Amino acid sequence: MPFDDLPADPRAEMDRLGIERACVTHALSLYSDPQAGNDALLRLDDPRLVPVPVVVPGVPGASAPSTPAEVLEWGVRLVRLCPERHRFDLTGPVALRWLAELGLPVAIDLDETSPAALRTLAGRLPGLRILVLNPGYRRLRALAELMAEAPGVWAEIGTVNTQRGVEWLAGLFGAGRLVFGTGAPVADDCGPRFLLDHLDLEPADVDLIAAGSLGRLL
Amino acid sequence: MTTGPARGGVADAPPVLDAHGHLGTWPDFLIPDPTAEGLVATMDRIGVTAMGVSHLLAVGPDAETGNRLAREAADRFPGRFGVWQVYNPHHRTPLTRDGVWGVKLHPDVHQCPLDDPRYEPVWRLGLPVLAHGQTDSPWSDPDRFAAVAARHPDVPLLMGHCGLWPYGFDRAARLAAGHPNLYLEVCGSRMTGRWIARLVATAGAQRVVFGSDACFLDLRTGYGRVALAPLSDADRALVQGGNLARVLGPRVLGPRVSGRSVSGPDDSGHPIPGSCTRRDVP
Repeated sequence: MPFDDLPADPRAEMDRLGIERACVTHALSLYSDPQAGNDALLRLDDPRLVPVPVVVPGVPGASAPSTPAEVLEWGVRLVRLCPERHRFDLTGPVALRWLAELGLPVAIDLDETSPAALRTLAGRLPGLRILVLNPGYRRLRALAELMAEAPGVWAEIGTVNTQRGVEWLAGLFGAGRLVFGTGAPVADDCGPRFLLDHLDLEPADVDLIAAGSLGRLL
Repeated sequence: MTTGPARGGVADAPPVLDAHGHLGTWPDFLIPDPTAEGLVATMDRIGVTAMGVSHLLAVGPDAETGNRLAREAADRFPGRFGVWQVYNPHHRTPLTRDGVWGVKLHPDVHQCPLDDPRYEPVWRLGLPVLAHGQTDSPWSDPDRFAAVAARHPDVPLLMGHCGLWPYGFDRAARLAAGHPNLYLEVCGSRMTGRWIARLVATAGAQRVVFGSDACFLDLRTGYGRVALAPLSDADRALVQGGNLARVLGPRVLGPRVSGRSVSGPDDSGHPIPGSCTRRDVP
């Protein structure tokens, strides 16, 4: 990784910034070996760090873990998919079969896929809950179209970083479909944390974004 | 959790000065609120005293009209906006010394390297200059800032985005450390609170300047990085306003509003008569 300042343990920064719990994926799962990262993640066993392991759907011998049943044995409430990084077809027959069998919500970076692929995925699996991570600010129009067409899509707001972008999405789709997130420590946590405290929304809506929406998603 | 300072304009609060702001729209993406009114409301919400702005129309195709729009917005909200007049080197945009914070250059949009002689009218003006800085760009790599800073040691030069890409932040800080008139301005979607603290450690707190890139980006996210960065109170005060106040001197509130309230537009909501005296520089 081209970083030399990543804290080994995120909990000190969570304490400093007043973040009670965080959904976390292990760096090894993203940057090295999905299975090894998931094993390390599931060993953490800290209620403040909600595990979001990586799932790589595939034919036998090309997946991590080897079957959907193994994922279900983890007892997790959210899994992360990286179709670009792990080179699988998000809307192909294998991934669709795995996701239907899992019945779990999925988190996917927008950079790992496309709004079109996510619309297809949502259309093929209408009950699937999809959390779009790091949607950014340059694709607000496409994100809004996706959210309008797919009511099972939530957006993480850490990178929704153009003036009043979060309020714009909340006005269109409700705060109940927006989820606080940071992407830290790879991305910034200070800015999104401050934004959360200063949203121009009703307190109940801010509470939804801070925690309630994610609770509903999970 | 409660964060951030008191509202802008509070007498005993240290100034929070945003070095890098914009008004207007940009074709690349949707900006839900590109207005001066919206920015002032957000500034009040989080306690930003004043913001230096260039109009995105000026950064883009029409510097003269965009500069006029920025000045009109500054007049509507005395003391809240400083104007960075955009200089387009291809159009040889008329420049002024009056009623502005300085000059904004965007070498990448204008495709003219920062150390190109076509910018000479800007350096001759002698005002602070904020320029887009982007590591590995043929137009605005931090190396070009160091070259210009050495050539014009009396011109305060703000390196917008501190090189933009995280892999270039550290090099940008080391380059700035060698040039006392070169400042690191920290806006950008790739910046982090942790990196701001590292820039302070490398270049010195006196050399790091808060900027948000609002309304292009969200002011709250940009200021939050500074407000919640792991900095000492003294260093944070320098970064979030002290350094820019020192660079701007009496220009910080604009010569036309010295001694006036800085809380918003005048009672009528109209520009203050005679407040905008231009002196064009060739």
